[in-house]
Amino acid sequence: MLACVPVRARAEAGEPPRAPILRARLNSDLVSSDPGTRRDENTDGVLLHIVEGLVGSREDGSVGPMLASRWSISPDGRVYTFALRPEVVFHNGAPLTAAEVVWSLQRYLKPETRWRCLEVFGSHGIARVLAVKATDAHTVEVTLDRAAPMFLTTLARADCGATAILHPDSVRADGSWIAPIGTGPFQLGEWRHNQFVQLKRFPRYAALPGPRDGNIGGKHALVDELRFLVIPDTSAARAALVRGSLDVIDNLYPAELMGIRGRQDLQFQSVPILDCYTLLMQTRDPVLRDVRIRTAIALTIDATALTKAITRGTGTANNSPIPAASPFHRAAEAQLRTVDVEKARQILKASGYDGRPIQLITSRRDPQMFDAAVVIQAMAARAGVNLQIDTLDWPAHLARYTTGDYQLMVESFSPRLDPTLSFGLFIGDKRQEPRKTWDTPRARELLDEATRTADPARRQTIFDQLSLDFLEEVPAVVLFNSARLSVVRAAVTGHQNWMSAQPRLWGVGLR
Amino acid sequence: MNPRLRHASLNAILGVSLVGALLLTIVIGLVWMPYDPIAIDLEHPLSPPAVQHWFGTDEFGRDVLSRSMLGARISVLLALATVALAITLGTAVGLLSGYLRGWTDRLLMTVTDTVLAFPGILLALGLIAVLGSSDSSIILALATAYTPSVVRVVRGTVLSIREREFIEASRSAGDSALGTMMRHVLPNILPPIVVLATSLFGWALLSESALSFLGVGVPPPAPTWGNMLSASRPYMDVASWLSIVPGLCIAGALLGVNLLGDALRDWLDPRRQS
Amino acid sequence: MLGYIFKRLLSTLPTLLLVSVGVFFLIRLIPGDPALVLLGEGADAASLAGVRADLGLDRPLPVQFLAWLEHAVRGDLGRSIVSGEPVSGLILEHFAVTAVVVLVAVTLATLIAVTAGLVAAWRQDSAIDIAVIGAATVVLALPSFWLGLLLLLLFGVKLGWLPFIGYVPFSESAVQAALFLVLPVVTLTITESGVLTRMMRASCLDVLQLDYVTHARAKGLSEATVLIRHVFPNAFAPTLTLVGLTLGHLLGGVAVIETVFTLPGLGRLMVDSVLSRDYPVVQGCLLFTAVVYVVVNLLVDLCYPIFDPRVTAR
Repeated sequence: MLACVPVRARAEAGEPPRAPILRARLNSDLVSSDPGTRRDENTDGVLLHIVEGLVGSREDGSVGPMLASRWSISPDGRVYTFALRPEVVFHNGAPLTAAEVVWSLQRYLKPETRWRCLEVFGSHGIARVLAVKATDAHTVEVTLDRAAPMFLTTLARADCGATAILHPDSVRADGSWIAPIGTGPFQLGEWRHNQFVQLKRFPRYAALPGPRDGNIGGKHALVDELRFLVIPDTSAARAALVRGSLDVIDNLYPAELMGIRGRQDLQFQSVPILDCYTLLMQTRDPVLRDVRIRTAIALTIDATALTKAITRGTGTANNSPIPAASPFHRAAEAQLRTVDVEKARQILKASGYDGRPIQLITSRRDPQMFDAAVVIQAMAARAGVNLQIDTLDWPAHLARYTTGDYQLMVESFSPRLDPTLSFGLFIGDKRQEPRKTWDTPRARELLDEATRTADPARRQTIFDQLSLDFLEEVPAVVLFNSARLSVVRAAVTGHQNWMSAQPRLWGVGLR
Repeated sequence: MNPRLRHASLNAILGVSLVGALLLTIVIGLVWMPYDPIAIDLEHPLSPPAVQHWFGTDEFGRDVLSRSMLGARISVLLALATVALAITLGTAVGLLSGYLRGWTDRLLMTVTDTVLAFPGILLALGLIAVLGSSDSSIILALATAYTPSVVRVVRGTVLSIREREFIEASRSAGDSALGTMMRHVLPNILPPIVVLATSLFGWALLSESALSFLGVGVPPPAPTWGNMLSASRPYMDVASWLSIVPGLCIAGALLGVNLLGDALRDWLDPRRQS
Repeated sequence: MLGYIFKRLLSTLPTLLLVSVGVFFLIRLIPGDPALVLLGEGADAASLAGVRADLGLDRPLPVQFLAWLEHAVRGDLGRSIVSGEPVSGLILEHFAVTAVVVLVAVTLATLIAVTAGLVAAWRQDSAIDIAVIGAATVVLALPSFWLGLLLLLLFGVKLGWLPFIGYVPFSESAVQAALFLVLPVVTLTITESGVLTRMMRASCLDVLQLDYVTHARAKGLSEATVLIRHVFPNAFAPTLTLVGLTLGHLLGGVAVIETVFTLPGLGRLMVDSVLSRDYPVVQGCLLFTAVVYVVVNLLVDLCYPIFDPRVTAR
């Protein structure tokens, strides 16, 4: 099938000709167009082409300036002063000033906005926001009730909507949502539910100088229109790609390459990301509360073989909550538990395990999660551990995870850019958050300290210690970090995934 | 020989052969299988049929032949249990409904029609989701979906024979309703029930495969032909034997059961040609 | 006649109501919270409560049911929890896909069944008869999803016509959309023709033995006339029942075929919405399916007199 040859847009002086449209794929429709509220990964990914926050994430996951050109922190760590970039303009033509920043931040702090990260600034969070004010037209001052080194990292989080700065015309007079008027390289065009989301290039976008860097640097729109087509079925998406009615599929499981492997008219790319596939263990369970049984199970799991088989060689075996591609993944984190089935048998015998079935919950939603359960069950059986797999559909799985109602559960976590967030997936008070698996005072203290410390050396030491404790105490077994597989048509240029797994379609063009 | 009789016996022979092969596989599988059907071998995933593995291995290196043999046992047992439950329940309800008539009949038939109005797969899916994915919940779910058919057949048959003389005679001789039902009605409805049972067995086998194909059904790592088929889809281009073997097993088993059912029907009702 | 239709439809109302009640409670018995699915993992209790309130899920169950019923009788089936779209629109969109596949397949299967069954019965015990009955029996034993997989394997993978597997919306290209439906239709036609052929052949055999057929032949009518004017109309009734049952059943969605060929049909909509706890969609689909089932059965009953004048609508 011949694809229509696009007519090149009239290039502005000095710029390369732009293609009229680039078509990417979403495997499910956006949940909402209001950043950081009702959301999932697809929603975050698309909206971050439209909106930007004061800060964002660099390619290596660290925090970098976005709408703020620089900032200063008071000596006691409580007051942040942001200098805004004067050249930034909203999609409706209004210039970015401190007034809009103050309005946006205050809006997020209101409970009725339902900002996903509100609880980070609540009673159990990192700090409370005491005041947000404009000290002049291009300076904003935020005052916290205590020092919080994680403040900027939180602002930059994709699942917080990057704490996007929006123009007040995004909402009605009564506060109800209309559409995002942001500052990004693209603006929201037509959103036809369950069919496509159309983004149009914003000609007056002021890109940060320099090459493409995370979701902050060098965000040049090389096409006039981005269209995200909603295609839930992978085989339909593959067919569309081959047929030429789709340009980019930027997230496939290894098993989904069927039929298109090795085609010359497609480019394939695999980039390790900061996600986490893990075997959670309920340490409150009468059987699993015994660390010997947990250790025995852990000793049977050959993470390397498991990873190679399940991810078809694209993933990285890892026993630490800090993902392998993270800059914080050093020698301590790279330690892999040595498989020892004989030792596992001995420990089991000593613990008095009687061979009774232990439930292992998984889901088919993610084929890698499902396969992991099958492999773990077989590996554990070698030492005599009797695991019974219970395959739940996604809502039931989520419910059981959230309430901690399981013995063993295979779970996959989406990318976290900071180790405190990665450890935070496991560490917590089970009475408040029953989904957390690691509930020892020492772990909670260490995590607290890491959250409060700004000194990078001290933080790394804490992370190393936590990683070692994690291997010892076995509240869970981390299995591997996967890679983001993307397939694009040969005519697509400049497509590059990065370890946060967020899609990036700026800097991507069509020949 | 009468050509019709020849065909009937051909059916019977073919049916018995296939079903016999199935039973033989299951019996052998109880004492011996080439490999442990659940043991994984991550060094040799997706290997094509060869001397070491007659039917090749799957994505975890598990032997497909052994899994097919265990799958036969699991699928057949599930189907048998489903049929037993559906027949028992359906006969009881159909008997009561057809013999007692009146309000009992109206009530039971409304409930039956309601269950019948649910698409079978969806009803089974919903029930399994509520009860959890285990062998017993699958049996219960499938039996619930098939009971209405049994009820209808039994009720229909009962309605047509309840007017006959020996029933009248029995009642006027003073037998209770239950006694009459048990002693006179039940033996006469056996032939259609037996025929229905063979069809039901085939449907149950097929439905269990369909449910496994859709992702609900017998939990892993236990193999059923249905979940083996379902798992083969991502690997169709590199390991087509994974898609062919389980399907052949299902088709073979169904064919045998259908042929046997046909022969049975011919034998029980010689006027009716198959 | 109209009175009959009206009474028939009226008598199905209790069933429809019971079905609605059954679905309503069954779907809510399945563990899992739609609000949690919407907000994802890590959502806090306040947001969850807020979303649940937005969706009306915090009201007592009978109130929720009555509210749904009140809207349903007016044709408003509510909005999908997952996509926010009107349920009736969703159902009609998906039903269109299923209906096209099912109607074309069942029509083709009936045509095949009638022809093959009639010829086989006419030439009983000949090579043709054996071939027909053999093929029908084998086809009966083929699981539809396996047949679909095999066709996918053959045409999609081995022959490399992969671009033709999948789905393209009608709006993008009508020709392409039609092409994508070829394999599912072929699969379903083959699967359904087995049982229909056997039924047709059986009833033709019965009719061929009857007196008036012998009389017709004795009168000197040609075989073709005998077959077409006398045998077929009388033999068709039981097959028609089966066609009706099949249609009613299949129009409720062929979840497995739709899964194999990834068609956005009604069956998949139902399965997907159960698996994502999209209550309004499940309830709407079940009601719709039950209504379709009832209507199709009614239509089949009304068609009987066309084929057999001895049967009159009661």
